[in-house]
Amino acid sequence: MSIDPKKIEERQRQHFKSGKIDGQDLKRLVEAGMTWLKTNQQTVNALNVFPVPDGDTGTNMMLTMTSAWNEAANLGTTHAGELIGAVAQGALMGARGNSGVILSQLWRGFARALHAREFVDGAALAAAFTEAKITAYKGVVRPVEGTILTVSKDIATEAEVALADTQDPVEILRRCVAAADASVQRTPDLLPVLKQAGVVDSGGKGLYFIIEGMLRYIDGLPLDAPVMSVQPLSAMNLENAMEEVEEGQDWEVVVDFIPQSMLDLPAFYTRLEDMGTSIQVGEGDGMYRMHIHTPLEKRYEPIDYIMELGTITKVAMENLLAQMDEIDRKARSAKIELTAIEPGQIAVVVVSPGRGLSRIFASLGVAGIVEGGQTMNPSTRDILDAFENLPTDRVIILPNNKNIIFSAEQAKEVTVKQVEIIPTRTIPQGLAAMLHLDPNGEVSAIAEKMRKAVAQVKTGEITIATRTVEIDGVGVREGQVIGLLDGKLVIASDSLEAACLSLLNKTEAENFELITLYYGEDLSHAEANRIADLVRKNYPALEVEVQDGGQPHYQFILSIE
Amino acid sequence: MSEESTTLGSIHISPNAVASIAYHATLQSYGVVGLAARNLAEGLAHSITREPTRGVSVRFDGEKLDIDVYVIVEFGTRVASVASSVANAVRYQVEKTVGLKVHEVNVHVQGLRVSNPD
Repeated sequence: MSIDPKKIEERQRQHFKSGKIDGQDLKRLVEAGMTWLKTNQQTVNALNVFPVPDGDTGTNMMLTMTSAWNEAANLGTTHAGELIGAVAQGALMGARGNSGVILSQLWRGFARALHAREFVDGAALAAAFTEAKITAYKGVVRPVEGTILTVSKDIATEAEVALADTQDPVEILRRCVAAADASVQRTPDLLPVLKQAGVVDSGGKGLYFIIEGMLRYIDGLPLDAPVMSVQPLSAMNLENAMEEVEEGQDWEVVVDFIPQSMLDLPAFYTRLEDMGTSIQVGEGDGMYRMHIHTPLEKRYEPIDYIMELGTITKVAMENLLAQMDEIDRKARSAKIELTAIEPGQIAVVVVSPGRGLSRIFASLGVAGIVEGGQTMNPSTRDILDAFENLPTDRVIILPNNKNIIFSAEQAKEVTVKQVEIIPTRTIPQGLAAMLHLDPNGEVSAIAEKMRKAVAQVKTGEITIATRTVEIDGVGVREGQVIGLLDGKLVIASDSLEAACLSLLNKTEAENFELITLYYGEDLSHAEANRIADLVRKNYPALEVEVQDGGQPHYQFILSIE
Repeated sequence: MSEESTTLGSIHISPNAVASIAYHATLQSYGVVGLAARNLAEGLAHSITREPTRGVSVRFDGEKLDIDVYVIVEFGTRVASVASSVANAVRYQVEKTVGLKVHEVNVHVQGLRVSNPD
């Protein structure tokens, strides 16, 4: 006679099909919940972004669960009530931290409802979830929503709803797991602190892992997967790992290596866990890639350690704090709301060098923005991407720079859509063209109007000379402020104010009506205003506006019309 | 009590303010179902003045800040765990909001509330 653990486990799992869960089944469920929580402990801990008073939620909950399990581990009873009573007792004895105490109260309520039950069926399970919630809520004067309490409430509600459809406890559990997941995702909406920190509630997430672990056990899924996982190299998504940067884990270290012998993964993980968090290991063709977040002072430790194991082929290190800033910046610029295009309308795609300018373009009804400008010319692909997926065949492109007009024309060649390119060479020309957009009009007629508008606006640009040169009869020293009028160098000066004024003088601005100053990313709003006041003093008859353009390199872009 | 001098003047934080913070931090801790007056006289005084500092006492000797809270805990919770949770919460909230180091938080469990005998 042979004993095959796999078969035994399979036979045990068959129990759940009967719709009746006995004491021993429950015991295995509790163990599964504990194991899965342990596996995901670091994930839960990582949700503690701020130094909250109760420390590491994942660890606290895990210790509480371990204590609960230890109490029940050696019980041979098949009586469900007896077994779960022991679990509750163990949880009470081992409760740690706020979330641990709440967890123990949940178990207490659960046990109270099942007290006299030999088996757990669907109705009993739903009743137990409800009693668990009630007991947990009783333990606090002012229950705070958006926490583990809310999640327990949503589980109980779903259990009652599910009971109307099915008597099968496994099905009810399945629906509760889904409800718990959704509930955890909603916690930031209920608790502003979470939203600020950009996390979900850690206690709620822990509770979710416990019941998800139970379901995974019933479904025969592995319970120790994430911690010991080795994924194919191609599947390693390191960008996503970035989103959970814990405080103090400022460095990301990625090491590619070829181990001398078989890698002992559990030992490997254990060593790495002493050094940092967010550990991931990938494998491909005998080569491994290790990813970890570490504190500043430990950033060389993983490398030294891996050096002992085999040959290192590549090491990459990145400062996460700086990287996070970058992500922040990108997220902010992504927030510009573009005009939604209805099928058949004309979509305008512009190239914009700065965030402020993008915003102004967006407010004028632009459907696609390509980042780019003087020193960063976008590719044909970039321009194409901006309009290929729009639900219309009619497109107008405003390149807003003489170096980009060619790429735009290339894009027109490649696409099957009807594209008109207005050869705008400057931002003010592009803005002037935008004012003539009628999304429901005829493309060629509107393009014609736009071309005319472009001719009526003068563009001034103020920047710093990068070398000493003489062009168009103007001598320039490196570092001087220079002014360009419609792309031609007209003045050089030692100060920003003087450059603006003499540029306007060259333009004969007094013959126009409106001057708009778009200031660049190097200038503050106050400084721009000061110069605008100076302009107002010199041209009292003209209207002068100041806008945040956010463009790099150019201190000012002036639109004179 | 606590004083801090700035270029504009000085800031005084009264023990009552600290007590109020501690009171709310305590109430928000899991397992605490209420605060209890230390003695009858204090209970009477607080029911007359209705100050939200019942069951909290704050001492500041010019150097060290000590806080005592008197709580009623839900029967069936792990009392020691709830108490340490309260101590942590009070210390954290006071230190965060007032910016003062707390020397000691003493949690006195004055009683248990049995809400559902089983």
